[in-house]
Amino acid sequence: MQDLEADLELAPSEPTTDRTDDVRGAGVAVAAALALSACGGGGGNPPSPSPPPPPPPVSKAGTDTEAARFLLQAQFSAPDADISALKTSGFLAWLNSQYSSQLGQTGVAWLNSQGHNSITAEQRYFWPQFGDFMIWNQLLAGPDQMRKRVALALSEFFVVSLSPIDGFYPPYVIGAYWDVLTANAFGNFRTLLERITLNAGMGFFLNTRGNLKEDANGRQPDENYAREVMQLFTIGLYELNQDGTPKLDANSRPIETYGQDDITNLARVFTGYDWDYLANGGSFTDVPWHDYDVPSTHFATNQMWFNPGNHSTLEVNFLGTNIPANTPGPEALRIALDRLFNHPNAGPFFARQMIQRLVTSNPTPEYVGRVAAKFANNGSGTRGDLRAVWTAILMDDEARAMPVAADMLKGKLREPVVRHVQMLRTVGITSSNGKYEIYDTSPADQALGQSPLRSPSVFNFFRPGYVPPGTAMATAGKQAPEFQLLNETTTAGYINWVQWTSRFAYNDVGPNYSALLPIAQDTDSVLAWLDLRLTANQLSNDSLNLIRAIMGAFAITAASTQEQKLNMLATATFLIMISPEYLVQK
Amino acid sequence: MSTLWTRRLILQRAMQLSAMGVATPLAINLAAVGEAAAFDSTDYKALVCVFMYGGNDYANTVVPYDPANYALYHQIRAGAGGENESGIALARADLAATALTPVGGQVLTDNLQYALAPQLAGLKSLWDLGKVAVQLNVGPLVQPTTLLQYNSTNRVTNPLPPKLFSHNDQQSIWQSNGSEGSTIGWGGKLGDIALSSNAVNSLLTCISASGNAVFVAGHQALQYQISPAGAIKIAAADPAQSNWQGLRDAVTALITRSSTHAFEEELAVVTRRSMAMEGVVNAALSGVNPNTAFPGGNPLAAQLKIVARLIGAGATLGLKRQVFFVSLGGFDNHNLLMQDHPNLMQRVNDAMSAFYAATVELGVANKVTTFTASDFGRTLSSNADGSDHGWGSHQFVMGGAVNGGRFYGTAPHVSIQTDDQVGQGRLLPSTSVDQFAATLARWFGCSAAELPGILPNIGNFPNNSLGFV
Repeated sequence: MQDLEADLELAPSEPTTDRTDDVRGAGVAVAAALALSACGGGGGNPPSPSPPPPPPPVSKAGTDTEAARFLLQAQFSAPDADISALKTSGFLAWLNSQYSSQLGQTGVAWLNSQGHNSITAEQRYFWPQFGDFMIWNQLLAGPDQMRKRVALALSEFFVVSLSPIDGFYPPYVIGAYWDVLTANAFGNFRTLLERITLNAGMGFFLNTRGNLKEDANGRQPDENYAREVMQLFTIGLYELNQDGTPKLDANSRPIETYGQDDITNLARVFTGYDWDYLANGGSFTDVPWHDYDVPSTHFATNQMWFNPGNHSTLEVNFLGTNIPANTPGPEALRIALDRLFNHPNAGPFFARQMIQRLVTSNPTPEYVGRVAAKFANNGSGTRGDLRAVWTAILMDDEARAMPVAADMLKGKLREPVVRHVQMLRTVGITSSNGKYEIYDTSPADQALGQSPLRSPSVFNFFRPGYVPPGTAMATAGKQAPEFQLLNETTTAGYINWVQWTSRFAYNDVGPNYSALLPIAQDTDSVLAWLDLRLTANQLSNDSLNLIRAIMGAFAITAASTQEQKLNMLATATFLIMISPEYLVQK
Repeated sequence: MSTLWTRRLILQRAMQLSAMGVATPLAINLAAVGEAAAFDSTDYKALVCVFMYGGNDYANTVVPYDPANYALYHQIRAGAGGENESGIALARADLAATALTPVGGQVLTDNLQYALAPQLAGLKSLWDLGKVAVQLNVGPLVQPTTLLQYNSTNRVTNPLPPKLFSHNDQQSIWQSNGSEGSTIGWGGKLGDIALSSNAVNSLLTCISASGNAVFVAGHQALQYQISPAGAIKIAAADPAQSNWQGLRDAVTALITRSSTHAFEEELAVVTRRSMAMEGVVNAALSGVNPNTAFPGGNPLAAQLKIVARLIGAGATLGLKRQVFFVSLGGFDNHNLLMQDHPNLMQRVNDAMSAFYAATVELGVANKVTTFTASDFGRTLSSNADGSDHGWGSHQFVMGGAVNGGRFYGTAPHVSIQTDDQVGQGRLLPSTSVDQFAATLARWFGCSAAELPGILPNIGNFPNNSLGFV
């Protein structure tokens, strides 16, 4: 121990060396030991620069690092098979295989499999926490990682939160909403927009459910959905160029996209809808312990039904579009959603935020413009093709270019929820009973300070335009949305959370380190394995030296106990997961 | 072998930690702070913002009560006459106990008499004691604005605050005069001029107990976050919890190391601050445990309790001026207003009442002024079971220094037609946030000359001290 401390004192002052030391070599050795495919060897360098034709676009990951870096943008973790596929078949083939993969078990199907649709005297149909268990199961289990990762990004754009949902079966209400996102994650924006508009959970959250037409006594339609579908889900507050920068008027001021009159008019379109308890076999059950009947869960999965008697028949004028009086409700809805979908803002508004969620907080206007162009036309004349959007985001030069030290404002802060999912998916997950009993992780002092599908409002956990005050980002005029969650409480709370969850199960769900236990005595290989998969080799040599010294102090041998090995493996994981070099995804 | 997970610590998994850590006051460069500080007084003062996220429904918070105006209110909110609870109108009989009688026979527009929401009985008692005032129809304005000017298309002559009726932007404008993305709040600017008065613990000048809020971010003054449980100690770097010094050192090095990457550096900066202040704050808090009961299950009360304890620790920490931010969410009551809003009013009432009582117990009631704020007011008209986004609203000011028991500002007509609203009873503010804030700033110790630096539009308004404190 004394020697170790002496080493640690020295370590920070050692001169930085190139990342070509023995750890790098060990990484290759581990990769070989784990029967990964051989290194591509090219290091990502383009072919000879002298011939006239420009170098072809990067089509394959040249190194494990490039592969892992791509995977940590596109999904939660970097499994060996995916790293291998990216190096042998390339990025586009990998993406296309994700797009064509079958939808895995849905949230609602999982809830059913757990019996959470039961009708019992203890009234479990009112319990919300199964909704938390559902989403953690969805994020942590199953092979369809990319679909779920982009669905999580969509859930932070088209926000519905479990937190205010009450009444019967809140888990099914949020589960059915989540299932809309995963089902349409590789579909079309226009379809997704309509599905979320008519979804029961959105109907509850933004009040389209039960929205009534105006009456002679001054009652007005509820404006909530009309406002937020424009401000947050489609076009935003200001007219945008295709590159996401604001258009300016003759006085160099931004141009507002809509006014209060547009909202008051559009609100009429969203009147007449309510939950549908009976379609597709829905029913009620008479229960002896109370005087109400318990609905089946169909109301959560059924689209809201349209009742013409509650629908405003007034003319609608919004964004320069006229919907004549007495237009049938479904037709009015089609016109309105088409208008928003076809608004020039929709592409850049959506594209920029999805880039922020997956790649970087401050994309250049050119990057936004390239993605927005794919939103406008996927190359085959289709607008709103989400596969084209994801491909454009992930294949862009700005996403694929490896970080360099001079890029002091590139990348983004990883979200707490994504960190936790990544850690467990990387080191291996064991659920002792399949229940995934992870409750609301919103508390900042004891948990993550963020909980999936529990945004505090429709404005998400953080705003795309958030600028942390008093920082270099503020000085540079740069945004850092995820920093809205960072403060003196959450930084300490997160570190304490990782200390425990890297080693122990939270209820039934914990890390198993199954791939690392057999090689635990080879600490250099373990460290290289973790660095690649957790950070895409972003740790500095200083950090690696610190962590390696601590790992070495455990003096693990093949004969060490499993507990000793787990303590070492978890300590290494913990030290990586709390390092700013990990926390900032570059 | 030592580990992070000793048996003893596993058994103590859920405990809150109060052991003192190594505390080094942050070296804030006071020389870099402007010399504007006006606080020669040895008195302590604290300003507390209670933010109601979502846009509080003004009409069911401060409710028309006299028969004539109540009838107008009921007709608009229930779509019919009567005095029973109906639509989104409260029953008149339920308002009798919280009807307000202003001191000095104050007469309001249309001879309005108001009652508070029935759940605000504690605030009503404090009104009767002169410790609570009501600021009527306050909201963001660039300059005094009439309905004609609001409807004008000439925005050069008749500028309006940007992005009216939008939650996130109006929250930001209330807190910082700027829409989303704004980085400096007026509470933070008040903190800037107080920094040099606060000695070594100047980092505790501006404190939020409810997550990051631009209100408490200044040019120099940083917002310090506190949780209801106090400051959070990083267990793996704590000698009392981890007996392996080498590991503690490695943890500390990893999480606090400087970086040339701005994002990494900011993570390290916040973590350093967290570690440096934890021991100072928790040590100071350990001696301050007021007996006043704060209600459980009420997040606003939990926040105000830690604020009360911090105020109680202010002398120990050498502080002269502090600005606090607390909040409660859930006020966007488009739906189920009659179910949800009373619960919110109950929480506000219970939390603020307990907080005032705690300041009395701590002997600082005259030194602490608390005010409410919210995104915006809402419509007076109903959408069947709720109300929609508006603009001006009514707010409370509470404290021993408050000239309470009366109204400030101009009462709006109970109407969806008059020229003090812009449609459906969305109030056109007759008092600006700048005037409201300037009044609080003057009490805090800010000079008139300093106001324009804090509230850039204050010069557009005839009056920068409304007199409520």
